[in-house]
Amino acid sequence: MKLAFLFPGQGSQKPNMLDELPEHPAALAVLEEAREVLGESACNFDSKDALISTVSVQISLLVSSVAILRVFEAEGVYPDFAAGHSAGAFSAAVACKTIRFADALRMIKLRGQLMEKTFPSGYGMGVITGMDKRTVKELVNSCFIKSEPVYTANINAPDQITISGSINALNKVIDIAANSGARTAELLNVNIPSHCSLLNSVSKSLQEELSQIKFRQPVIPYACNRTARLLKSPEQIREDLALNVSHPVMWHDISSILCEHGTRLFIEMPPGNVLTSLSKKARPGARSFSVDENGIRNCLVMARRFCSEHS
Amino acid sequence: MQAIKKHSWKKRLEAKEKRTEKMKDITSSRIIPTNKIVQALETLIQPGDRVVLEGNNQKQASFLSAALAKADPEKLYDLHMIMSSISRPEHLDLFEYGIAKKVDFSYAGPQSLRIAQMLEDGKLTMGEIHTYVELYGRLFIDLIPSVALVAADKADASGNLYTGPNTEETPTLVEAAAFRDGIVIAQVNELADELPRVDIPGSWIDYVVVADKPYQLEPLFTRDPRHITDIQVLQAMMIIRGIYEKHQVKSLNHGIGYNTAAVELLLPTYGEKLGLKGKICKHWALNPHPTLIPAIESGWVDSVHCFGGEVGMEKYVASRRDVFFTGRDGSLRSNRTLCQLAGQYAVDLFVGSSLQIDAYGNSSTVTRGRLAGFGGAPNMGHDPGGRRHSSEAWLDMKTNDDPLARGKKLVVQVVETFQNGNKPVFVESLDALDVKKDANLATAPVMIYGEDVTHIVTEEGIAYLYKANSMEERREAIAAIAGVTPLGLEHDVRKTDKLRREGLIALPEDLGIRRTEAKRSLLAAKNVEELVEWSEGLYEPPAKFRSW
Repeated sequence: MKLAFLFPGQGSQKPNMLDELPEHPAALAVLEEAREVLGESACNFDSKDALISTVSVQISLLVSSVAILRVFEAEGVYPDFAAGHSAGAFSAAVACKTIRFADALRMIKLRGQLMEKTFPSGYGMGVITGMDKRTVKELVNSCFIKSEPVYTANINAPDQITISGSINALNKVIDIAANSGARTAELLNVNIPSHCSLLNSVSKSLQEELSQIKFRQPVIPYACNRTARLLKSPEQIREDLALNVSHPVMWHDISSILCEHGTRLFIEMPPGNVLTSLSKKARPGARSFSVDENGIRNCLVMARRFCSEHS
Repeated sequence: MQAIKKHSWKKRLEAKEKRTEKMKDITSSRIIPTNKIVQALETLIQPGDRVVLEGNNQKQASFLSAALAKADPEKLYDLHMIMSSISRPEHLDLFEYGIAKKVDFSYAGPQSLRIAQMLEDGKLTMGEIHTYVELYGRLFIDLIPSVALVAADKADASGNLYTGPNTEETPTLVEAAAFRDGIVIAQVNELADELPRVDIPGSWIDYVVVADKPYQLEPLFTRDPRHITDIQVLQAMMIIRGIYEKHQVKSLNHGIGYNTAAVELLLPTYGEKLGLKGKICKHWALNPHPTLIPAIESGWVDSVHCFGGEVGMEKYVASRRDVFFTGRDGSLRSNRTLCQLAGQYAVDLFVGSSLQIDAYGNSSTVTRGRLAGFGGAPNMGHDPGGRRHSSEAWLDMKTNDDPLARGKKLVVQVVETFQNGNKPVFVESLDALDVKKDANLATAPVMIYGEDVTHIVTEEGIAYLYKANSMEERREAIAAIAGVTPLGLEHDVRKTDKLRREGLIALPEDLGIRRTEAKRSLLAAKNVEELVEWSEGLYEPPAKFRSW
């Protein structure tokens, strides 16, 4: 019976989310370290206006998740596995102790900057529910033209697929999907076509930068976004952190593989409960909690009770 | 004169004696000390051995599998594992660590994604995927094991084992090793001076080890009636009226699922209303489903033979001796090998669900990217050509007067036309064909072949496929009940009446069933609490099923 920590990515952010961090010394230490790395307070990055930029979003997500991670660690609760969705993968890598928080913060800031530069406008992402991967793929292929590309992106659930590409193509796919029996089909509030080959150049630059950073042997397995394998190799984790932005995140498979490895308790770091909702639906045999929704105190109690019952 | 070296006809025995000789540093008796288990396994098993590991359905020899995963891969490597069920993370860790290399198995549901990944990554080699009883058969032909790692409740000083309700296929696995000079190692929860009864004789067992905690047991056959839907009630009513009553089905096996649980829970209510008690559903090849309790209590059930046990049902089963197979000690005796045999040859009917059915009735539960295997369903869900005895239901499948005509086993597939997420169940081409390609299998992993399916039940009606005289008729009958799936949309509604007249399909109204009657309130028990009440408090549901 194992415990997995889940780390959310873009989409889960909320204005002023760093204000909700507890006054715990471990959380405060993370905020302090962030200030040193960034040269300014991390709280400058989570205002409503600041969060318009993906750079701020990713910085805030990392700081928020790692702050709570450190609180759990200080309270003696360590996960058996770490799984982060997209930007959240950097937090997961910190949880595995394969990369230092300061390095992760520098890298995730760069990731955001590279993403923002590459596609300033005319591109984005969408999400379709109530349709399976194969059907969405056929739809996407039928709408693809070189000047208006569109791709299937993340597989969050068997019937929740995101798409990525030019806005015109996205709208075409969404229209057809809505008329072909999809439960929902809509654009996402992002202006970067993540998780497809359009961001290959971002991955390449990240790869170069990440190769300068020391990756240590992880203490727990890290869930690979692209292949849904649990990785223990520092090299492979480095590769995933570089490449996950230009490849679909196989979140549903990650969720399954964690359960097959014995996970029966999922705790999602703040902000939000996106991954918890997916987990509850996909893995009814396991228990899923989000720190944001259930509160850090309850999550700590759950984790401790679970760990003692199932050691 | 040179002595001519004589050929040894007992090489296996000699090899065994060599191995057991080396055990004297670990133990002087047949009891392996708990803390020496890893060392013992490294001594008794050799690289390249064929090893049976339980890996059963409900029961897991979890102490032994965890210990084997801790073996030094320099000492133990390239093992060929033979497992009914690949269930636990350490079963596949064995391959990650290089301790095991090849696997022959039957079911891998709980590890279906990881095994597919490992196959793709070249981290394990697959032999074949089997149904349970095929795998057991090969243990005596070309997959003869050198070592069997099994689990039992108790052992006495002579190595006799008590496996009780959770006997499952242990006797068969042990026999294959024990009588071919293999080595049998049994983990037990405790040693006892006297056993409640002997399930496996000590002369079959080489070593016993007391585990650090009781072997893992999963409640796989408990279905909370709270999750049964009105549609499943409708389908259950159609099954009882349109199949069980029509063909006088006296003996059967239910594949596990909410729709079959609904059938079990409708016997005391809807079945009673139809006056069918004593006429149908008397003899069962079935695990001790809690959802069968109301039917048993209401006097429907003469006998149940079980593949394995079910956590929480022990006391109930023990107190209903006239229904279950129980030993002199009072507890259940299950036996998967014999129950699969009974389910293959000795019952009138099998009914189960599916994820995909093609236009000719071929049925598959595979998901692309996962390799779950077969378990027992194909064994239950086929018409055994070797059957010679007849029964009323079996003979009812005869459709012509050809002097060589024979009956058939009733093989029923019950599905809704769409799975959740808008996925049609009725498809032109099964995903199984893709899985064959992806996993490089010799044949497509079809669960049940169309030629064996006698009936399909959807929320639209029943297709009596056994009556179809051609592939075209078969396809027409299926399309007629396939709703608004692409296959179903092929169907010309003007043909429906003709099919009804010819008895190839039946709609609920043809069976005297009003859709508005099909409500959960018809279920004899609507939740786990009510099952406990029916059982007079004898059923003790595991914590995860208790909501009070």
